[in-house]
Amino acid sequence: MKIISKQDFSDFINSLIEAGSWNVIGVKSKGDKYAFGSLESADELRLDYDVTLLPPKKYFFPQRETLFSFDVAKGSFTETTTAGKPMIIVGVHPYDIVALLHMDEVFRETKADPYYGEKRKSSLIIGVNIQKVSKWNFSPSMGCATVDHGYDLMLTDLGDRYAIEIGSDKGELLLNARYAKNVRDAYANEIQMVGLRKHEIMTIGQQKLDFSPRLIPELLKNNYANSPFWEKHSEKCLACGSCVLVCPTCYCFDVRDNPDLTLERGERIRTWDGCLLEDFAKVASGEDFRPTKPARYRHRYFKKGKYLFDRFGFVSCVGCGRCSSNCLPDIANPVKLFNEMYQETTNAGVELTRPRPPEVRIKTEEEIVFVPKLATIMRKMPMTTTETLLEVQFNDSSDLGHRPGQFVEVSVFGVGEAPISVTSSPTKSGSFELCVRKIGSVTSKLSDLNKGDIIGIRGPFGNGFDVDFLRGKDLLFVAGGLGLAPLRSLLNYVLDKRSEFGRVSVLYGCKEPCELLFADEVSSWAERKDIEHRLTVDKCPEGECWEGNIGVITTLIPGVDFDPETTYAIICGPPIMYKFVIKELRNRNLPDDHILMSLERRMKCGVGKCGHCQINQIYVCRDGPVFNYSNIKGVPEAL
Amino acid sequence: MKPKVAFFDFAGCEGDQLQVANLEEELLDLLGQIEVVSFREVMKEHSSEYDIAFVEGSCTRLADEDRLKEIRKNAKVVVALGSCATIGGINSLKNSKDPDEVRFTVYGDKAKWFDTYAARPIDAVIPVDVYVHGCPINREEFLHVVKSLLLGKKPDIPNYPVCVECKKNENVCAFERGEFCVGPVTRAGCDSCCVNEGTICWGCRGLVDNPNENSQKEVLLKYGLTVDETINKFRLYFGWQERRK
Repeated sequence: MKIISKQDFSDFINSLIEAGSWNVIGVKSKGDKYAFGSLESADELRLDYDVTLLPPKKYFFPQRETLFSFDVAKGSFTETTTAGKPMIIVGVHPYDIVALLHMDEVFRETKADPYYGEKRKSSLIIGVNIQKVSKWNFSPSMGCATVDHGYDLMLTDLGDRYAIEIGSDKGELLLNARYAKNVRDAYANEIQMVGLRKHEIMTIGQQKLDFSPRLIPELLKNNYANSPFWEKHSEKCLACGSCVLVCPTCYCFDVRDNPDLTLERGERIRTWDGCLLEDFAKVASGEDFRPTKPARYRHRYFKKGKYLFDRFGFVSCVGCGRCSSNCLPDIANPVKLFNEMYQETTNAGVELTRPRPPEVRIKTEEEIVFVPKLATIMRKMPMTTTETLLEVQFNDSSDLGHRPGQFVEVSVFGVGEAPISVTSSPTKSGSFELCVRKIGSVTSKLSDLNKGDIIGIRGPFGNGFDVDFLRGKDLLFVAGGLGLAPLRSLLNYVLDKRSEFGRVSVLYGCKEPCELLFADEVSSWAERKDIEHRLTVDKCPEGECWEGNIGVITTLIPGVDFDPETTYAIICGPPIMYKFVIKELRNRNLPDDHILMSLERRMKCGVGKCGHCQINQIYVCRDGPVFNYSNIKGVPEAL
Repeated sequence: MKPKVAFFDFAGCEGDQLQVANLEEELLDLLGQIEVVSFREVMKEHSSEYDIAFVEGSCTRLADEDRLKEIRKNAKVVVALGSCATIGGINSLKNSKDPDEVRFTVYGDKAKWFDTYAARPIDAVIPVDVYVHGCPINREEFLHVVKSLLLGKKPDIPNYPVCVECKKNENVCAFERGEFCVGPVTRAGCDSCCVNEGTICWGCRGLVDNPNENSQKEVLLKYGLTVDETINKFRLYFGWQERRK
């Protein structure tokens, strides 16, 4: 531990600013509040602050960030991952340091985010132990009022001087004589004073959790289905998103294109988003996968207290109290909510046991690439009034290398990006096919493009179907409407390797005969003896011709012949379809683990980060979109 | 071929067209992409052949309905420009008053010569394709809408409250400064410009799709507004939207 006088500390900060190698950031006054901002002089620094309006995460994961700029005519992309000038952030409170440590895990898990990572790596954190506590702070309850790592230097105010704990080599180097004068080793009594000070900090604050935060995951789990509780607490929610936008551990984002007036150049930006906002989980068709206010309100608490715990082993709330202080109707205070929930739960006689922390094995497999690869539309085939089949080839002639059931993120530069399942089988090499339904901005534009037009592709993403597992099994495909598109990648794979699979049956339904997709292929099934198929339409309007079954897709199931022991059903269709199809299949004794399905959600980033496609703890874009029913049937919100 | 664009005004201050005329350096780039065939505020020429019609102002008399319908007939895309056109704007304040009293206040002894009815946004008369909210409109958002139309894309008009932008801009909440704001129910997209400048949100972009008005009113009362003041806060810009519900 080192000691520096306050005057020398000011000089230290000023010499860092003058050195010009860093962007020196610190806590400054903003009205009656405080905010992190670039320092022009150490005089601006307010280390006696209570809490800042926004946490320092804004420097690593900015409110608005350019991912890359594009020039479609030239086919060039400029990535903007490089961090710019390294930052020194002065005055970070321990709870915000813990929050950054949480963010580090989220942004490096499986696929590492280079935009976040680069900035984090090149920066230094000079923390300060809390001197004044905000009215809403409950960081002691969360065990985040002090911290023993995650900083380069940590200051403790000792009246006329600061004690400095060194947290890293980088921090120690910063204290060299070039910048810092008169730094000496701490005396024993000073070390003791720091210890005492930290001990005091542990008892500060008016907000206190009545129980151990380690019980939060279990407490929440017990109350997921407690609808009256969530309805009562969310009734006044303004859906303004303030609670999540000021949170130091929230990381959901949106991605959109911002073209300039040439319409050929522009940038793709990401901005903060929030799961409390009304349209967060809505897809282009208008389907909203978290449509009610209580469900969105509950999701926020579950994400912090349960889902992230299940994944990383920590409850991702650090007790900064920003959500509580920013909520005008005063319904976002986690302490109030958790204490009330705890009371209600224990009064009901439920005994909560501390959950065993999950086995966390965070691996970084690769870096996220947000820049798409350029591809050209080789063939365009309108199929119905709303669906178009596009055959696409990468400009570098590489193969997509996908598994059946995977999807890609398709870019129309200037318009944006949309997830679209690959409808062709991997057995088809050189190019791949996308079946596009004209429904949102990107898909409408895609449908208007022509042969020779350039698009962008990221992916393939998601798990896809496990064809090795399915080999030798009997397969029953159940497709509703556009649901045939993702299933076709597997179906055509199976047909191309027909001898490797058992019986193949296809049930395919759409609303009206004119909506039938891949009509040529559907009629070719009739000619094959090695595939059984049944078609249905919900209705056949006058003037249209239909000889098959009329009725919803489930009406086909009783008539199909299959052996439940050897058959695997593969389902995809509109959200409403699943539970009815599953019910019918179970009536036919098909075991739950023989039911596979591909689910739709708002898969914005494709790499398990942006949060839009989350079903409870599951990221559909990464953990799906193919799920085994036996794994997902217990997951509320899934079906 | 560049799409032909025309501007029209109804009851309003023409401040939104002024925002367009004031685009400065972007104006030339914009004119590289569109052909303006009618824009009374900046040019003499007029043509009734146009693809995109930007309509400013609210409809305040029956006689204006025919003109709006004519515009709708001529244009492929109708864009409501500014609060008066998108939500009825402050013109709708008069709707809560006795119509005759309003007429006499404005026109005095000539009142009998002037016909007027409840002020309304133009989508109360004709279908509107795109909305550029704001009083006045935000130039950036106007450009975003134009670019989106040119690209054949649905413009990203937020359906979340101004609070979102306020938080991102790290503003001190107006309520914390002892002021009263309707940002929590007002549609964002302005980048919280008023609060950034130290004032409050008056609600000029209208209500979000599903505002929690009861909760917002409760907040205003809790922080010290009277019931009448709260009603007035909502009436300033939300008059038409509130009445329509």
